[in-house]
Amino acid sequence: MKTIKNLFAATRLRQEFADRRNKLYRVAYSWCHNVSLADDLVQETMLKALKNADSLRNQATLDTWMYRILLNNWHDYLRVQGRNVELYDVSDDKQQEHTDNYQQSQIVGRVRSSIERLPMSLREVITLADFAGFSYAEIAEIVDIPIGTVMSRLYRARQNLKEQLLDLADDGKLPVRLMRVK
Amino acid sequence: MNDETYSDEKLNLYIDDQLDTDEKDELRHSILDDAALRERVCQLKAVRELVGYAYENVPDSDYTNGPDDSLRSRYLWKGIAASLMLAIGMLTGWVVNDTARSMELASAEDVFQYYKNTEQVDSAERKIILHVTTGDISAVNGALDEAEQLLASYREAGTPMKLDIVTYKEGINMLRVGVSPYVGRIEEIVENNKNVSLYACMRSIDKIEKKEGKPVLMMEKAVTDKTAQELISERLQKGWIYIKV
Repeated sequence: MKTIKNLFAATRLRQEFADRRNKLYRVAYSWCHNVSLADDLVQETMLKALKNADSLRNQATLDTWMYRILLNNWHDYLRVQGRNVELYDVSDDKQQEHTDNYQQSQIVGRVRSSIERLPMSLREVITLADFAGFSYAEIAEIVDIPIGTVMSRLYRARQNLKEQLLDLADDGKLPVRLMRVK
Repeated sequence: MNDETYSDEKLNLYIDDQLDTDEKDELRHSILDDAALRERVCQLKAVRELVGYAYENVPDSDYTNGPDDSLRSRYLWKGIAASLMLAIGMLTGWVVNDTARSMELASAEDVFQYYKNTEQVDSAERKIILHVTTGDISAVNGALDEAEQLLASYREAGTPMKLDIVTYKEGINMLRVGVSPYVGRIEEIVENNKNVSLYACMRSIDKIEKKEGKPVLMMEKAVTDKTAQELISERLQKGWIYIKV
């Protein structure tokens, strides 16, 4: 009976992991801007999550636990590559983005380029907050930094992006004229 | 109050819902009174929205490649495009202007008081979107209270108004026959106020139908042919006031 229960629990957990795969992939992509690398990072995350499922004591923390694994994988990758956090040259998808579906949105392209110019520590925090939707406390847990540091990184990231995007708007590089009100 | 009273760090806490209720209320009222502060909040919120949308639709991984993904992608883009336009408008100040519109920053009473205090309640028609995104019973009840309060306040002030109630995500349950405990009350509101219209987000209906595996039955008066983003974006660009529930 216990074996059957364990089997059900393991199946349910695998499903929980699978349900999170797409979001993990998109967050990984937001950090590295590279399809293959994002895919590898998520694959590695799924494997580690399955392997270490026993160490997850509280199901309610599944999200933060998985994103922490993802972030560690990403940092491991950066370490192995010997790159510092000011990483600009990983992404290889710009050409593809601008020639397929993504061509229809200049805005998204500009926003992604601006995010890509952020130092990695800011990029990670802002995407976890604004894209993945984690609270400050959860981000502190995932990134393993104090909440105050989350706040200051988020502040710097948003200020930086705001300035970059307003500059683009002033230079006419964002299609804002299309939607002026009144 | 001068808008410099609040640091950007504090405004970040506000838009990320990390302040306690008292601080949030205080800041919300300051925002209504201070156009410069409103614009700063709006810009930070716009940055947050833009980051949120930037990775909604990314190049497929090998794992997600499949026949349905291109359809999903096109469908997703339609909704995202309108939201992006709105966020860019917020960022550049074109949607903020000198009113409370485009901000999920106020209750109906706040908005009404704002116009009243600034002597803007005149004979010009006020157009308001009440955006209901939650299925929470007490919140929906509050939304209806706010709607009735708005209608009564404007009627009393002799100011014509138009109120569009736009429901989204679980908020569409408010207009579902056999699900919402408020169908009778809503019918009465619409019956007694010809200036009230009801909308349910087409995409939310689609999602709930897929989830529940059966058709969703909406109130007869509910219009269901557009997404909430399209409805809201269209109205904001025409200068409607936005209130989120």
